[in-house]
Amino acid sequence: MTMTYLIKAENLSYKINEKKLFQNISFEVNSNSAIHITGSNGSGKTTLLRIILGISKPTRGTVETNLTSGMCYLGHKNALKQYLTVEDNLILQSIQHNKALDTLLKDIDLYDKLDVVVSNLSFGQQKKIALLKVFLNESELLVLDEPCVGLDGKAQNFLTSFLQEELAKNKSIIFSSHINLNLDAKSINLDN
Amino acid sequence: MNILYFELLKLRKKSRGWLGPILVFILIMTAFPLTVEFLNEDLEQAFFSILWIAVLLVMMLATEDIFLEDYNDGSLEQLVIHTESLSFVIGVKILIYWALIGIPVSLIGSIYCLGITSSFEMALLIFPVLLISSYIFLNLFCFGNSLTLTKGSVLGTLITMPLLLPLLVVLGKVVIAINLGLNYFDFLILLLGVLSIIIVIIPLIISFVIRAHLE
Repeated sequence: MTMTYLIKAENLSYKINEKKLFQNISFEVNSNSAIHITGSNGSGKTTLLRIILGISKPTRGTVETNLTSGMCYLGHKNALKQYLTVEDNLILQSIQHNKALDTLLKDIDLYDKLDVVVSNLSFGQQKKIALLKVFLNESELLVLDEPCVGLDGKAQNFLTSFLQEELAKNKSIIFSSHINLNLDAKSINLDN
Repeated sequence: MNILYFELLKLRKKSRGWLGPILVFILIMTAFPLTVEFLNEDLEQAFFSILWIAVLLVMMLATEDIFLEDYNDGSLEQLVIHTESLSFVIGVKILIYWALIGIPVSLIGSIYCLGITSSFEMALLIFPVLLISSYIFLNLFCFGNSLTLTKGSVLGTLITMPLLLPLLVVLGKVVIAINLGLNYFDFLILLLGVLSIIIVIIPLIISFVIRAHLE
């Protein structure tokens, strides 16, 4: 039997101290598909993403993965070292300094910030630096937790265009966001 | 080998992480003879107690936020997702801390030993003991700090203390063995044996503990 899915979640339930966050969530992520996880604050969006990533374990249910080139994850925390420069942080994230990076940095208005210490950048600028890893990834699945937080309109549009291009390249995306990213995505609402 | 380069890059820019503990060690070792009115012989007797405790304190200081920073900024999450062997990464991280802090402290400790005992042979024999014991201390404190990652390092230190006490007893015996010219190498092999178990087991346990914290 051939497996066509990248991620298959079946009957996922999670509860904290007897309080049920979500129950019986089932979905499949296939190539060239997007899943938008929605829900109010505290509904368990981040927890569901962490279960998919294998960081957290569900109270009930299973997640099967069938990935060949791994996944790229960007969560609430940017994994940036505040005392290092942007360039050093890029090295830590194994991002090579090349023409593609220069173009991206110009697109997101950070080209002149390479030698700036991250703690001197605004929250939005730091988010953009963290997103570079997503923009330059070669994984077949992107998992993004509130990727638009802190981004200005231009950067949000850039991110949306990028994600649309990724879908066109047969990649898959799972994301949680309160902002509509205008992607052709299947929605999973955790409030229901 | 990327992890080795990455950790060195971080520590190069965060000099307080490794230079601070080394300076504290020098301060303790320099201040101790100045603050007591001992005769030279008494000073020599007290020296080794101070030396072991100073090494212990310095290793405790060095590991205070070894995992906390990565936990807080989300790097640990990324490591857990993308690294096949988290325990290997942790082992390398501890090794780098030892190379940057443990080895200089051992070297400086031996120089102080030479200064206090005026015995080159003693300094030479103490050096490998310092190297091994600092690595063991570092591993054990890392274990303690990983257990109480989000609860502060004080609790971690308290948890680790019972594990450190037998080692301190052995270190005291090593000095006696050197002084009496008895089974020094047996003690060295014992310490190496303990270290060889610890460097395999501790990173493995820490990786499980970190995964549990992230969950």
